[in-house]
Amino acid sequence: MAIQGIDFANLSLMDALDLAILIEDEAQERYQDFAAQMEQHHTPEAAKFFTYMVENEAKHGRELLARRTQLFGDTPRQVKAAMIFDVEAPDFDEARAFMSAREAMAAALASEVKAHAFFESALPSIKDPDVRALFEELRIEEIEHQELVQLELAKLGKDNGVDGSAYEDEPAAQ
Amino acid sequence: MSATCEFQAKDYKSDLKPIWCPGCGDFSVVQGIYRALAAIGRPPHEIAFVSGIGCSSRIPGYTTAYGFNSVHGRSLPIAQGIKLANPDLLVLAAGGDGDGFSIGGGHIAHLIRRNVDITYIVMDNQIYGLTKGQLSPTSQKGRVTCTSRFGSLEEPVNPLLYVLAYGAGFVAQASPTDLAGMAAVIEEAIRYPGFAFVNIQSPCVTYGEEAQQIRGLKAISESLASLGHNPADRLAAMDLAQHYGEKMHLGVFYRNPEPAPTYDALVRERQALLSKDALPKENILDLFIKK
Repeated sequence: MAIQGIDFANLSLMDALDLAILIEDEAQERYQDFAAQMEQHHTPEAAKFFTYMVENEAKHGRELLARRTQLFGDTPRQVKAAMIFDVEAPDFDEARAFMSAREAMAAALASEVKAHAFFESALPSIKDPDVRALFEELRIEEIEHQELVQLELAKLGKDNGVDGSAYEDEPAAQ
Repeated sequence: MSATCEFQAKDYKSDLKPIWCPGCGDFSVVQGIYRALAAIGRPPHEIAFVSGIGCSSRIPGYTTAYGFNSVHGRSLPIAQGIKLANPDLLVLAAGGDGDGFSIGGGHIAHLIRRNVDITYIVMDNQIYGLTKGQLSPTSQKGRVTCTSRFGSLEEPVNPLLYVLAYGAGFVAQASPTDLAGMAAVIEEAIRYPGFAFVNIQSPCVTYGEEAQQIRGLKAISESLASLGHNPADRLAAMDLAQHYGEKMHLGVFYRNPEPAPTYDALVRERQALLSKDALPKENILDLFIKK
């Protein structure tokens, strides 16, 4: 997770909203990428879950954008996508060939935990009360997102204890 | 050259779906390239993207630029030909460490000494992934693979030192641990007027070792900017480049503050000079006919 060139102490509400939108956009893009990778490699269960995450991230992004538009109209954005990296998006190598839905959910859960940690760690530096309130709200939302993923995990039923990787063929030269 | 206009990263993404292994570092590289191209703003039809052979060499197909997935190790001569034939094109070349530093290793020196205005992106994963895990020129000494059952006896090629020693005007390194940084160095490389080299540590999730995956790379990565490195200092760049394989320095190692004229520009200049006294096209055959 990385943030570059953002001074949290002087972050305006508009910049904070834009930052939150970019974080959702990045996560949405990464899950889209993962869903496509899973589809390409005939792993429909994981693809389905990643698509579900795309929809979730898109929904949160739209909600934030609506707030931003209501408050600040189309005032040009100051923060840029290049300023954030992997705040809520899983690492590129979290995707794996033939990953199960459970593994896909575990990757998403870890990312929601990571996003929560980001908002929590940023909070002490924030001075503006409106920005603080927004970050507090986003921090709580990340907990709700974790619960959402845990709900999906629960739907899978009890883990059968079988470690799929034990059945994978070792990559071998031909 | 067209006027710069607004392009978004998605405008450079083709409809072809990558068939790399899920989690492959090359997914991040293609994203970095989309972002860099969007920042440059040249339309896709003004970009030619040439690659060699290997997993990473599939990359031109995933962009909307003109692409050529060519012959093993030969991306650079082909890219050079394209640049000289049509200097207005933005020319990118890409490939893996095997493609660039083994079979194609001899070409790099000549593009560097000519200073052809091409950006060369090497996706360095220290293994031949497409052919299922053989030693590559950048594999670490002692590495156990299917072609080195008892550990490699060879020292790896240091790609950074290699191109710096030949006099490359722009040398940078990036990795999927910092996508924004990767996009920024690719953009800077493209903007550099001359041969630019970007080494990207792109983990192979199938044949790569644990230490070479993103978590491992994060543990050894260090930004050159945070070290206070001056990219105009070539000797300092060479000093830092010696840590290849132990530390992963990210950012620009070297940017020549006074870039030499590019070969393509010199060729165009020479053509303009000679064309003054040249015969008109319809009389060219007269050169070969005895009257």
